Amino acid sequence: MRRTLIIGYGNPLRGDDGVGWRIAGRLIEIVADEFTNVLAVHQLTPELAEPISEAELAIFIDAAHNGEPGSWKCESVAPDSIPSNALAHYFTPAGLLAYAEAIYLAKPEALVLSIAAATFDCGEQLTPGVEVVLPEVVQYICALISRPPKVPSRSYA
Amino acid sequence: MPKQILIDPVTRIEGHSKITIQLDDQGAVEDARFHVTQFRGFEKFCEGRPFTEMPSLTARICGICPVSHLIASAKACDALLAVQIPPTAAKLRRIMNLAQVVQSHALSFFHLSSPDLLFGMDGDPAKRNILGVVEAHPTLAKDGIALRKFGQEIIALLGGKRIHPAWVVPGGVSEPLTEEKRVKILASLPEASILIERTLSWFNGVLEEFREEIRTFGNFPSMFMALVTPHPNGVHQALLEHYDGVLRFVDAAGNIVLDQIDPLRYQDYIAESVEPFSYLKSPYFKPYGYPDGIYRVGPLARLNIIDRCGTPKADQEWAEFRALRRGVVLSSFHQHYARLVEILYGIERIEQILNEPDILDKHVRAFAKPNQFEGIGVAEAPRGTLFHHYKVDENGLIKSVNLIIATGHNNLAMNRSVKQVAQHYVKGSHLQEGMLNRVEAVIRCYDPCLSCSTHAIGRMPLHIQLLGPSGELLDEVKRN
Repeated sequence: MRRTLIIGYGNPLRGDDGVGWRIAGRLIEIVADEFTNVLAVHQLTPELAEPISEAELAIFIDAAHNGEPGSWKCESVAPDSIPSNALAHYFTPAGLLAYAEAIYLAKPEALVLSIAAATFDCGEQLTPGVEVVLPEVVQYICALISRPPKVPSRSYA
Repeated sequence: MPKQILIDPVTRIEGHSKITIQLDDQGAVEDARFHVTQFRGFEKFCEGRPFTEMPSLTARICGICPVSHLIASAKACDALLAVQIPPTAAKLRRIMNLAQVVQSHALSFFHLSSPDLLFGMDGDPAKRNILGVVEAHPTLAKDGIALRKFGQEIIALLGGKRIHPAWVVPGGVSEPLTEEKRVKILASLPEASILIERTLSWFNGVLEEFREEIRTFGNFPSMFMALVTPHPNGVHQALLEHYDGVLRFVDAAGNIVLDQIDPLRYQDYIAESVEPFSYLKSPYFKPYGYPDGIYRVGPLARLNIIDRCGTPKADQEWAEFRALRRGVVLSSFHQHYARLVEILYGIERIEQILNEPDILDKHVRAFAKPNQFEGIGVAEAPRGTLFHHYKVDENGLIKSVNLIIATGHNNLAMNRSVKQVAQHYVKGSHLQEGMLNRVEAVIRCYDPCLSCSTHAIGRMPLHIQLLGPSGELLDEVKRN
């Protein structure tokens, strides 16, 4: 099995922004093992470059600003050659991958699974349109990590 | 007619902000302002919640310093319970808070500011970033990662959960420390110590190259405030304090203005002003009024108000730090230096606490129902003094919340610093990279956390506008 790192991130107190965090919370319970490391974090921070460097596959799960709420897509992401966002407290998946590559010479396959949000306002609940897609996203990731590399881009609207 | 330069938003800080620089008829900088433009209303969000939820709720304000909120909040809840938490619980909370200081300072110094320090303020922007640091000075970059990881791992070991730790609770902590964890943390200390000493040595070597920035980066007289160790018997040396203690104010000459102030009386000395141009409130020292009551908090303030740190290596380094200037160190550029000294202190202090005989004591939590309708919790967060103030009803439901965040305390100072840098470096009606970087860099000296201060979170591209006398756009820069 491939060593996999799954990072779900977002603020669970800001409505749908917490969707990645919540999916990671579910995955911790059902797939985390010696090959699969699942992290639920508030935001991407530089030290995550280290676990990324130890993975063969890295999956980032985040809420998206654009799209029909509840629609989701899974796309490949490469290290960002222009590390603009890697300069803030807030890192992007591409910036973190660039960081992991620069420091640890690691270049795992990486995917970003993004779920379009309806609201980022204060609130602990996901909106119904986002909540309803959680099971299929979880199922998709479960299938993803047990199948061989080179997953085609896939989206649901 | 005045002209205006707008930098919107500022990069490499947390949250949303912009800078406006007002030019006069002659094209000279007349004024400059640091605006915080996003608002989340976290205090309102908490109303009606059981007070017991507050530590874990407020810990989610920010992804960078959740522990600081956790601790200040738990202390406010201790006050609502009206309990004295077990001494071992206080020590364990203190360790977690110090680990938080170490990891947060490491983020600020290594990941946000080291590019400026390594390549210079006028360095090639294509290289002046953390990836450039990795290429030019890989040891520095790796040390930064390692020190952050050191702090994070202590927090994770103590907190015990991968998602926000619920270990710090009203009344103490939920679980005692085990010998296994104690040994593990102790084993990580020597390496962390080597890393910070190496960094201090490097930093002291490059400091001379920033003489001009030291002179102009927030280098002005102001008061400083922080917690210090108390002296119940009247004779003492005030030591560095991050978890408990009493408030001390010193002036720009180092004279003690107020000392031994119970932090619960903060409202007697601190008031908050609101400006229409920013969501970030501007606290000030009440006796001096607004805006004359400007004061600074954070690592620079903490090192300025103490008589010594209280650990051997940090004391030595602190003596070097204070030798930078007679009296207190006024330049905000030296926040960087102060952060490194505090990392060194944190590592030493964690070791001291872990070697105290009662650190494995099983009694780590006091239980009670709410006994007070009002509770205040104060601690030193990495960026400065953090106040949580709650009022509850007879059922323990939150009626009101007031949070005074370190970045808020520094709001007046950040504004004055931006103005000072702009007046020194901004020339003409065109935006130049080195000038822009310095205006941003002076704000980064304070490492503001706007997620905390306005309880918002966001990403920051850079948008700079230069506006002419009638508000016309003269120049504009955008960086994504």
